[in-house]
Amino acid sequence: MDFMQISKKDFQKFVENLIQSKEEVVGVVKKGKHFAYDILEKSEQLCLDYTETILPPKKYFLPVEETLLKYKTGVASSYEATYGKSPKVIIGIHPGDMAAIALLDKSFSEGEKDSHYLNKRANSTLIGIYPTQSFPHRFSNSMIEKDAYKAADCFLVDLGNDYGIEVVTEKGKKIASAMKAVAGEKGLNEKIAQAKAKIKDEVSMPFSRRELSEFLHNKETHAEWKKRAEKCFSCGSCVLVCPTCYCFDVKDTVALSLQEGERKRMWDGCMLEKFANVAGNHNFRKLAGDRLKHRIFRKGKYIIDKFGMAGCVGCGRCSQACVANIASPVDIVQELKK
Amino acid sequence: MYPEKSIYLPQVATITKANMMTKVDRYFEFELEGGKDLGHKPGQFAEISIPGIGEAPISISSSPNLKGKFEMVIRNVGVVTNALHNLSVGSTVGVRGPYGTHFPMEKLKGRDLVFVSGGIGLVPMRSAIHYALENRKDYGRIMILFGARDITQRLFVDELAAWSKQSDIEFLETVDVGNPDWKGNVGVITTLFSKIKDFHAANTTAFVVGPPVMYKFVIVELFKMDMSKSNIIVSLERHMKCGVGKCGHCQINRVYVCQEGPVFALDAISELREAI
Ligand SMILES: Cc1cc2nc3c(=O)[nH]c(=O)nc-3n(C[C@H](O)[C@H](O)[C@H](O)COP(=O)(O)OP(=O)(O)OC[C@H]3O[C@@H](n4cnc5c(N)ncnc54)[C@H](O)[C@@H]3O)c2cc1C
Ligand code: SF4
Ligand code: SF4
Ligand code: FES
Repeated sequence: MDFMQISKKDFQKFVENLIQSKEEVVGVVKKGKHFAYDILEKSEQLCLDYTETILPPKKYFLPVEETLLKYKTGVASSYEATYGKSPKVIIGIHPGDMAAIALLDKSFSEGEKDSHYLNKRANSTLIGIYPTQSFPHRFSNSMIEKDAYKAADCFLVDLGNDYGIEVVTEKGKKIASAMKAVAGEKGLNEKIAQAKAKIKDEVSMPFSRRELSEFLHNKETHAEWKKRAEKCFSCGSCVLVCPTCYCFDVKDTVALSLQEGERKRMWDGCMLEKFANVAGNHNFRKLAGDRLKHRIFRKGKYIIDKFGMAGCVGCGRCSQACVANIASPVDIVQELKK
Repeated sequence: MYPEKSIYLPQVATITKANMMTKVDRYFEFELEGGKDLGHKPGQFAEISIPGIGEAPISISSSPNLKGKFEMVIRNVGVVTNALHNLSVGSTVGVRGPYGTHFPMEKLKGRDLVFVSGGIGLVPMRSAIHYALENRKDYGRIMILFGARDITQRLFVDELAAWSKQSDIEFLETVDVGNPDWKGNVGVITTLFSKIKDFHAANTTAFVVGPPVMYKFVIVELFKMDMSKSNIIVSLERHMKCGVGKCGHCQINRVYVCQEGPVFALDAISELREAI
């Protein structure tokens, strides 16, 4: 990994030029009291000094709703694959969200390759940033190990007047040179390491992820699932905001003309009641407790076992989003540990 | 552009035969464009779709040895399956697949086979039954047990009749609820097991496919007959959308049924609490 640096002023100039070049540039912007990823129209909109965005940047590669195929209604020979667009550059991704993209990359490229996702991913350069603000629910440091570096092209680290840059990939190198970033002065990597450690998580998972997977092994029948889920509204907010949730539904929609239609995939989530329903009205996870257990096992065990990567990146969004205040993986694990 | 073609893009198949088997189950024969083989193995499934309606995972009911075409039986339970019931011969559909694991017919050469199917479970089972009968000399005893809710729910009635007459098949059938016209067994499928004579558990492999509620009872019965988990093969249904291990719908604990199933040896899934 190369270490480089750029003044904040020059970085903003670079972002402005990028926007002017008519490429789609996405970054974190402030919206009222909240933060969100959005298309940048002016470089001043970019806000890298943020707590956490409402939704993760996942939506640019796995949109809420995405057309997979187009066709003429009823004509099977007319099926045609369509591929969506993604931003040229996304700026300001926190390490947790970056690690989540690495997981999606793995899932959509493992076995059958999902070209709809992978096309979009191949088109984008990802610029990460280490948080400068604490977020009370975040526990990424205890979850993601080095996963963020499997997806990031480069990471920015706030050094006051400058950004330190960790250059990870060839794409990262290219964009760093487009920024006119300079090779780091002596001691830059230590400075970067110090700055990265400045913001500490206020909560943490009491286990490494390997330990977490083992810990969960015999917790399937624990009374906590049922007890905790008594408060669950099955609203799906916890899965909606989650950067590592990639389950989807597939549906056909027909245009008003009735002549043409699209097969679309849309976000779905295992906390929703009908997720595992089959014909004959048989539901394999009828109880909210079973669904909550599945969600946590998927994040804390199945994905870790399958891919060796974090199934939960500790972004803390689910804890924030859950009205019933029961969704936090850390709280659940603490409770199971008692 | 990423070079790989879309895994969601179906091939085109034409309906070449179709007829109602029960009030809700319709038999189909399909031909792929150019008379290509689907290339499936017994127990696999495919995603069948109608542009404008949607997709549904459906078991392939014919043997791989049926060349140039394949068969399915589709129960009308909702949007896609209803639309499939309304298509006529000559209409086209989309087909993705074959997907999933298959019954390990090759590995079972020399063994006795007992096929236990309930209701629509006969549909995927038939693919393995046909295969075993086409290669009759490769297998020992072939026992076919079939249970339907009532006589109106029986599928492939001509084949059932033929099997019941064939001397190299031991065929047992029951309906849960009898009827004055029905001369056969009445009772749930597990009542058939006691009718099997000289059962050699160690040399037998059991295939079990049926509605979700059936598995527990049948498996308990097989255990009573000294069958071990490794000699019991099940095919499990789950909600499926993508069929390619992405969408998460089909998961039983850590297992993706569309990829690691739907056919499983029971010992491979017995630690999965959500399985049976
Ligand atoms: C491996 C496999 C093999 C199957 N083989 C056959 C077969 O040979 N013949 C047959 O008739 N059916 C089979 N099914 C079931 C069939 O896929 C569903 O009945 C069908 O998808 C329902 O679609 P629909 O649009 O008609 O129903 P919908 O209108 O979508 O819903 C009706 C009901 O079906 C359930 N359902 C919806 N989508 C699915 C789905 N993808 N998988 C399972 N249940 C679903 C819903 O939860 C609801 O309860 C199989 C399913 C699987 C997973
Ligand atoms: S489970 Fe919660 S904390 Fe973990 S990645 Fe998802 S939203 Fe973030
Ligand atoms: S855990 Fe909370 S956010 Fe998730 S479905 Fe239940 S109530 Fe909604
Ligand atoms: S059906 Fe989508 S993962 Fe199995």
